[in-house]
Amino acid sequence: MIGERPRRAPAEIVADGYPRRRPRWIEIATSADHKDVGRVMIGAALGFLFLALVELLLMRLQLAVPENTLLTPVTFNRMLSLYGATAIFLFAIPLALGLFYYLAPLQIGARGTALPRLGQIGLWLYIAGAVVLYSGFLFTPSEAGVNPLAPLSELAFLPNNGVDAWAAATGLATLGFVLVAIDLVTTLRRMRAPGMAWRRLPVFAWAAAICSWLMLAIGPVMLAAITMLLIDRNFDGIFFADGSGGAPLLWEHLSWIFFTGAYMLILIAALGAIAEIVPVFARRPLAGRGTVIGSLAAIAVIGTLAWIQNMLTAPIAIGWMYFAMIMSLALIVPFGLVLFNLIATMIGGTLQMRAPLLFAAGAISAISIGLASEMNHSMVALAWRLHNTTDATAATHFALVGGAVFGGFAALHYWYPKLTGRTMGETLATISFWTMALGTLLAFVPLFLAGTEHGQVVDAYKFFSGTGVSADNLISTIGAFVLAAGILLTIVNAIVSRTGGARAGHDQWGGDSLEWFALSPPEPHNFDVLPDVRSSRPMRDIRDAIAHRTARPERAPDETQTVA
Amino acid sequence: MTPHSPGTDQIDTLLWIGFVAATVLIVAINGALVYALRRYRGERGSQPQDTVDGRRTQLRAGAALSAFAAVLFVLSLIYTEKARETPATGSTGLAAAKSEPLKIEATGQQWLWRYDYPNEAFSYYKLVVPVDTTVELDLVSTDVIHTWDVPELAGKRDAVPGKTNHVVFRADEVGTYDGQSATFSGQAYAAMRTEVEVVSPQAYERFVKRQKSDIQAAQDRVVGLIEKGEVP
Repeated sequence: MIGERPRRAPAEIVADGYPRRRPRWIEIATSADHKDVGRVMIGAALGFLFLALVELLLMRLQLAVPENTLLTPVTFNRMLSLYGATAIFLFAIPLALGLFYYLAPLQIGARGTALPRLGQIGLWLYIAGAVVLYSGFLFTPSEAGVNPLAPLSELAFLPNNGVDAWAAATGLATLGFVLVAIDLVTTLRRMRAPGMAWRRLPVFAWAAAICSWLMLAIGPVMLAAITMLLIDRNFDGIFFADGSGGAPLLWEHLSWIFFTGAYMLILIAALGAIAEIVPVFARRPLAGRGTVIGSLAAIAVIGTLAWIQNMLTAPIAIGWMYFAMIMSLALIVPFGLVLFNLIATMIGGTLQMRAPLLFAAGAISAISIGLASEMNHSMVALAWRLHNTTDATAATHFALVGGAVFGGFAALHYWYPKLTGRTMGETLATISFWTMALGTLLAFVPLFLAGTEHGQVVDAYKFFSGTGVSADNLISTIGAFVLAAGILLTIVNAIVSRTGGARAGHDQWGGDSLEWFALSPPEPHNFDVLPDVRSSRPMRDIRDAIAHRTARPERAPDETQTVA
Repeated sequence: MTPHSPGTDQIDTLLWIGFVAATVLIVAINGALVYALRRYRGERGSQPQDTVDGRRTQLRAGAALSAFAAVLFVLSLIYTEKARETPATGSTGLAAAKSEPLKIEATGQQWLWRYDYPNEAFSYYKLVVPVDTTVELDLVSTDVIHTWDVPELAGKRDAVPGKTNHVVFRADEVGTYDGQSATFSGQAYAAMRTEVEVVSPQAYERFVKRQKSDIQAAQDRVVGLIEKGEVP
C-alpha cells in the first residue's frame, strides 16, 4: 500500500442534510453576505457605466456637427432619458453604496452586517430597476429627459409607457438603496469591534454612515414623488397637473431634493475614499481628521438644503432663491476644508505614485473644477444667465465624473486587491488615467465656453450653425470618445486582472484600517479573530505588535517598532 | 455676448466676478495639488514629516474660506438686486410706457412662443419691442414648463403652467436678438427658438397697428368664407 494515496480522505463526521455545493453563480446570487452583495453591486454599476457611455457617445455623435440628422429627435430624447437614469441611479449611487456595503463592515471589524437580508433585497431591487428601465426598449423608453419634469412627464404630453417604465425603474432602485442604507446604518451602529469608538472609525466608514443617513432622508422623498407621478399617470391623479389643484413645481422640489442629495452623496463617497487613499500613499496620517469627517457631514446637510439652486429661474419668491444661494455658497467651507486637508496630507509626505493616488489626485482636480463652476450657478443673477446652458452640463460632469468615475476608479484600484486577491495592472492604469484626464478636459471645457459665451442650451437634440458653438461641440465630441476610451481601459483592466493580475497579500498597501487585517478576498466570516481596537489606526497597531513580538531580543527596536 | 439691457449689464459684471472667484479657487487647489505631487514624491529612504494637525490651522483655513464665501455672497446679493431693478423708460422710448412698463404676455407652448401685445394684436415666434423702453414680459405656459431666454436682453425665466413669471428689460439698441427655450420640453425642444426685434417706438406703433388690422382682416376673410359655405 506504500506509495498509493487514497483519492479522498474517508469521511470522519457524517453530517445529515449538509447543503450540497451549488454552482458558483447561484451561490453569489442567493448570498446575503455583504461581500457578495457589494461585489455584485460594484460589478453591475461598472457595467452600467459602460451603457451610460454608449448613450453619451450616441448623443455626442448627434451633436458633433450643427443641425445633424444622425439621430431623430425622439431617439435622442430616449438616449438622454436613459443616460440620466443610468448614470445616476444605475452607476454612480450603486457604485458608492456597493463599495460602502463591501468595505464598511470590514473597516469596523464586523463579521457581517446587522440585517443581511435587507441588503440582499436592496441589491436585487436595484437590479430589478435596471431590468425594468432597459426593458423599455421592448416598447418605448422614456422621452422625458434626465429629470422628467412634470407636466411634460404627465400622461397628456407623453402618453406611451416610457415614463411609467422610468418611474418604476428608478423607484425600485431607490427603494433598494434605502434598504441597503438601513442595513448600513444599523451595522455601523451595532456591529463595531470592541474599542471601535465612533471617533476611531475610518473616514470611509464615516462617509458610509453619512451617506446612508442622507439616503434615508432623500430616498423616501423621491419614492413619494415617483408614486405621485405614477398615480397621476395611471389613476387620474392631479398632484402635478396644473388647473385642478395640482402644482407642476411640486415635482421640481421633490425631485431636486433627491438629485441634489444624490450629487452630495456621490461626492461624499468619493472624498471619503480619497481620504483613505491619500494618507496610505503619502505614508502619514490624514491631516485634520476630525475636520474632514465634520465637513463631510456638513456637506450632506447643507448641500441637500441647497436644492432650490436648481430652480432659480422658476416663479418662486426671491427670498427662497437667496436661501439656496446661502446654502450653496456655505458649501465652499466644508468642501474647501476637505480638499485643503487632503492636499495638506500630501505636502510633507512621501508620495508613492501608484494608480490609486493618481486617480485620487485626478478626482480632486476634476471635483475642484466642477464645484468652482457650480458655485457660479448658485449666485442668483448668474443662474439667470447660466442655468440650463452647457456650462451647467460641464460643471456637473466635472464634479460627478471627478467624483464617481475618477474617485470611483481610485477606490477600485485601491480596494481591488481586497475584493479579488489580485492587483490591477499598473501600466494600463496609468495609460487609462491620462487618457481619461485628457478626455475630460477635451469633452467638457469647450462646453463651458459654449454655455457661458453663446448660451447653448442643454438637452437639445441639435444646435444651429451660425451660433458660434460648432467648433466647441466638435471638440467636445472628440473628447467624449477619448474619455470613453480611457474608462474602457480601466474596465478591461478590472476584467483582465480578475484572473491575470499579480497576487496580492492581505495588506497590499500598508493601510491603517481593519479591512487589511482580513484575507484577500476575505473569508465569509471576515475575521478569524477580532482585534481590540485602541486607536484610529488599528492595522498599524497590529503591524507594530507583530513586529514587536517577532523582533529578535538582541536587536535594538528601531522607531517603526515603538508602539504608539 | 454683449449685454443690451441694464439688467444684463449687471449680470455680465457678476459673471466676471464669478469667473475670477472660480479661477482663484481652481488655480489655488490645482496649484497646491501639482506642487505636492511633484515636490513630495517619495524617494528611497525619505521619511514623511509629522502631520501638523493643529486646531489653529483648521480654524484659519475655515475662517479664510468663510470670508471668501461671505464676500461672494454679498457681491452676488448686490448685483442680483441691481439686476432685479426695473429701469425707467428712456427719453427716446415709447411715450405710452413712460410711467409704467409696456406689458406684453409671452405664452410658451410646445414648441413656439406667442406674444400678446396690449392692443390685442399678437405674434408668434418674433417679438417686436420699442427701443429704450421698459418692457415687462408676463411669462405663462399652456402646456409644459418652458424657459424664455434671450441672453443679451434679460436673464432667463421659466414659464410654468398655472403661474406667471416676469422678465423686465430695456433694449438699448435697435436690432435683432436671438433666443432659445432653455428647459427640456419634449420632441421639438431644440427647435423652440424665438427672436426679439428691437425697433424705434414709431415702427413699434406701426407694427402693432398693422398686425392687429391684418389679424382682423384675416379673421373677417375666414368668417366670410365660412358664411359663404366655402369652408366646410
